[in-house]
Order: sequence, then structure tokens, then C-alpha cells
Amino acid sequence: MKPENLLRRPQTNRKLTTGCEILDGCLRGGIPCDSLTEIVAESGCGKTQLCLQLSLCAQLPISLGGLNGSSLYLHSEFPFPFRRLHQLSRSFHQSNPSLYSNHNDNPCDHVFVQNVHSVDHLFDIMPRINGFVGDSRNRLPLKLIVLDSVAALFRSEFDNTPADLRKRSSLFFKLSGKLKQLANKFGLAVVITNQVTDFVETSDGLSGLRIGNLRYLCSSGRRVVPALGLAWANCVNSRFFISRSDERSENDESGSSYVSRRAQRRFDIVFSPYLPVASCEFMITREGICGVQA
Amino acid sequence: MEAWRLPLSSSIRGKLISAGYTSLSSISSVSSSDLARDANITEDEAFEILKLANQSSGSSSYNGSGSLINGAKNAWDMLHEEESLPRITTSCSDLDNILGGGISCRDVTEIGGVPGIGKTQIGIQLSVNVQIPREFGGLGGKAIYIDTEGSFMVERALQIAEACVEDMEEYTGYMHKHFKANQLQMKPKDILENIFYFRVCSYTEQIALVNHLDKFISENKDVKVVIVDSITFHFRQDFDDLVQRTRVLSEMALKFMKLAKKFSLAVVLLNQVTTKYTEGSFQLALALGDSWSHSCTNRVILYWNGDERYAYIDKSPSLPSASASYTVTSRGLRNSSSSSKRVKMM
Repeated sequence: MKPENLLRRPQTNRKLTTGCEILDGCLRGGIPCDSLTEIVAESGCGKTQLCLQLSLCAQLPISLGGLNGSSLYLHSEFPFPFRRLHQLSRSFHQSNPSLYSNHNDNPCDHVFVQNVHSVDHLFDIMPRINGFVGDSRNRLPLKLIVLDSVAALFRSEFDNTPADLRKRSSLFFKLSGKLKQLANKFGLAVVITNQVTDFVETSDGLSGLRIGNLRYLCSSGRRVVPALGLAWANCVNSRFFISRSDERSENDESGSSYVSRRAQRRFDIVFSPYLPVASCEFMITREGICGVQA
Repeated sequence: MEAWRLPLSSSIRGKLISAGYTSLSSISSVSSSDLARDANITEDEAFEILKLANQSSGSSSYNGSGSLINGAKNAWDMLHEEESLPRITTSCSDLDNILGGGISCRDVTEIGGVPGIGKTQIGIQLSVNVQIPREFGGLGGKAIYIDTEGSFMVERALQIAEACVEDMEEYTGYMHKHFKANQLQMKPKDILENIFYFRVCSYTEQIALVNHLDKFISENKDVKVVIVDSITFHFRQDFDDLVQRTRVLSEMALKFMKLAKKFSLAVVLLNQVTTKYTEGSFQLALALGDSWSHSCTNRVILYWNGDERYAYIDKSPSLPSASASYTVTSRGLRNSSSSSKRVKMM
């Protein structure tokens, strides 16, 4: 058994750009490879948007921050936003025509979508994923796996008894172990989304247990906690939190005043093995996610 | 020299030993009447023994251990050894203080905490700090980093290594100005090269690697710290037989303890926290169960107190329970800015 020579690794891990400069700035380049990254957010905050965008950015050449690879999108929630993917794909194709001119394909051809309806199903298809990643017949090798969302895989099947929770916990570690093994073997970036639940104070005080840089997580004006608890938090390498707050701004224009509401999205780093505390704001537009200068 | 080497009859020897006279030095310092009384022998016999003892101590070379059972040591020797044991600094003086100067070599230290509290950061900091040369008060050793989770990022290690070199250079500059000190030879890349990095992806790989460590360290004697980040990850998957898991874990713990003692190095095991269901409610505890908690010499728990990170000595044979705050900066682990507060003793 030989140790790895750290000097032979590149000085910075390969990163996948998010397609947005400001977000990339927070992340010092983007989502890291050979690592499990979790994105926690309330429904409708933009985690699926970000994942779709990442699936397309993965096809960019390495010089532009991509991974020169295709992506596998495992979705557990219905329906899969095909229309939105096509929309993003069209504008992506327009911005990067050179990537596809020689091959007569389009960005959507390199995003492979697979539905998973339970965690057992996911374990069943793991060997196929293994084979798929190593398959050299694809024009672009698989470089990104997205799991959207992990919470939906687990939330319905388990009761709240200690025995079931223990069983559920061991499945977290098994899943995380397999994904990390894949990520390490093939240098993949793995992005997992997670939902939130409302914060409810319990007598043991554990529901308010602080994990990471933020004392508590807030979205849409109420306190939330990531789903799946402490056990799952131990399974991911980095955790990012997207939140929305409905801001009211009053604008005074030519004598009349009106109130407008704008859904502001905020991206926070909850914990990461190499990133300092940072956050930024962004909006979701037709072209995708774009950061807002503070 | 051992008392049993003296040419005595076995019954007298037996009486001597059961009275507690195991080393020559203990015999030679006592009078014959005291010896006779203690060992329940006649004064003549005691006198003979003393004569023999004096003869032997003159002729034979002094064996420093002077003990009866081979390998046993007396407490004075052990104290002397312990006080002169090198320790690895954590770069946070408050933390070093509650640790008695730093992470001690020859011990297995377990450090546990919630995700994001800084376990990996401490691991990387220690693997850099063990390499601080002797002239700067360090051990000048190398590190083994066993990564089971994939949290080790080269860019972060490089960042911490660069900060360490900068600090040393600043110190050298001062020394150079006032004394004739040599230029620092170490570069951040050298530091990276001296970290033996292993990535393990399953519990079988982990066990195989731990079994291999003895051979590896025998071939790389300058390894002074072994860090496992984390010890827990691969063992929280479903082990059908929990008894087997406990057995495997205790064997592993034993191996680490042997490594620590044999090669005089520090073993640092990073652990996760979990909720334990006891007496009808959930409580926070370090993972791997109750039997594992006996496997380490020292245990440090990291936790949040308000907006600050704290470390707490949960178990140690020699250190008092105390907690100290620390921060994680871009340069690595450091004192927190509010460290003007005194270390809180429990």
C-alpha cells in the first residue's frame, strides 16, 4: 500500500464552475471534484435551477471552468423540469456554439436523466452507474452526478422509532460511501440536494444543534433545519444553504409611490473543508442563475 | 540490576521480592536489620545479601531500568520520560495549554465534534506542525494522514503550510537580527511532500492499512503523527453483526496504541458525533459506541458555544478537565480574538 504523492495532485482541486462569476467567487472556483457537495434549500429557492445549470456547465472545456464531461441527473421528485432544461440548454448552446459545431449534437444530449423512486432503487442501479461512468464510448465522459433530492428518497419509508432511525442512518453512510468511492475513483463532482423542515424546539435541545457557520438557518422569514438530521450531515463534505426572503421595497417615482416585492435568493456556506465563511445573493433569470453584486 | 540475578537460594529470593526489594538500589540503601525484618529472614542472611549486593553493583554495569520483570519500569523513570515527551503544537496557544503543551506523542488522542467544527482543520494543522524543525521547538517529523471521508484538500493544506513557513521565517528574521541564526530551508512544497496521504474507501481498506502501518512506519522512522480522518465513517454502515464491529474496532484501537508506544508517535483519531438514545431521550455522544470510548488515552470534544468554537478535555489520565476557545482562520488554527478571556477550568 503506497501513499499518494500530494505534490502530484494539482495545487487546487478541479472545480466545476456554476456559470455565475459571483457564485464562483464565493466558492473559490466552483463545486469541487472528488467531493460530496450538498445544497440545502426550501422548495422553490433554486436548487434544481442550480443543478440544471451545473449539468450544462459540466460540458464546458476545462479552460472555461467546466469538466469537459457529461452529467447524470438522478431525480427523486416529480416532475423532472424538462422544459426548463431545454430552455437553459438553448441559451447555453447559443453562448457556446463552438463546443457542438463539430458533432451535430446539443447540450441536452449530454445530460442523462434517471428517475429514482427509493433508496433501494438507487442501490440497485449503482452497478449500472459504475459501468456507465467508466464507459469510454460516450463522447464526453461522465463527470458530474446530481442527486435531486436525497430527502425525498428517505422521508416516506421510515418511522420515527430509534430502530428505524438507526437503519436509516446506516443507509446514509452506505450511500455516501458509495458515492464518495465513485467520486474518488473517477474524479467526479457529486452534488446532492436536500430539503428543509420547520424548526421545532424539542425538549432535548438537539433540534437546535448548531452545525456550521450559521447560528440558525432562515428562509422565507422562518427558522428551518436541513432534513435528515445530524447523521446525514456527517456524510457530506460541504454544505451550502440557499434561502429566499421576500423583500419589500418602496420606490418613489414621479410623485407616486408603489411597493414592489422581489424574491431575493441568498447563498451561504454552512460548512466546507476549505472555504472561509462567505455568502452572496443571486437571482434566477431566463438564462439561469446570476449573482447580484452586493 | 535486578535482585533476582543475585546468587541466592530461591526461597530467600522469593521472600526478598515479596517484601518489595526488586532492584539492587533498593537493597543497597537499607540496613541489614531492616532488610531482615521486612523480608522475614535472619540478620545473617540479610547481611550476606547486602554483601553480595554491594559486590554486584561494583562489578556489573548499571542497567538503567533496574527492575525485576523485564520491561517493567518504575514510576520515577516514567515520570522523567513523560516530562521530556515532545508534544505537537496545535498553533493555538489556548488549546495547547489545556492539552499540557500540545498533542502528546505515545498517546492515542480522539477528537470529536459536529460537522463543520474544525476536525479536519485540526488534522491538517497537526500534520503540518509535526514537521516544524527542532530549532523552532518542533519535532521535525513526518505525518501519515489517513483520509476516509475525502475532506482533505491539497489547496487547504498548502495554505496552512505556507502560513507555517511564513511564521517560521518571521521568527528566523528576528533571530537573524539578534543572533546568528541560519536561514529557514523549509518550503511549503516540502511540507506537502512529508505528509504520507492515504485515501481509504471502505472499512476493509481501512483495516488493511492499519495492519500495514507497522511495516510502513518501520521503514519511515521519522513519522511522528498518524491522523485518521475520520475513524468512524466506514463503520457506520450496516454491520449485520454489531459484536463483530466492536471486535474489529477494538483490535484496531489496540493496534494504534501499540504503534503509538512502539514508535513514540502521536495517534490522532477524528470522530463524529451522533445522537444516542438513552433512558427515553436523545443525547449527543461520540460515535462508535460505549466500548470504543475505552480505546483512547485522551478525548477532546469540539463544540459551539454561541458563535465561538471550543475544545473540551473530556478524558485524560493526566490533564484536568478544561475548555478553551479557538478559531479556524485562513492560516489555520489560531487563538480566538476573545482569548483574553482566561481558560475556563471545570
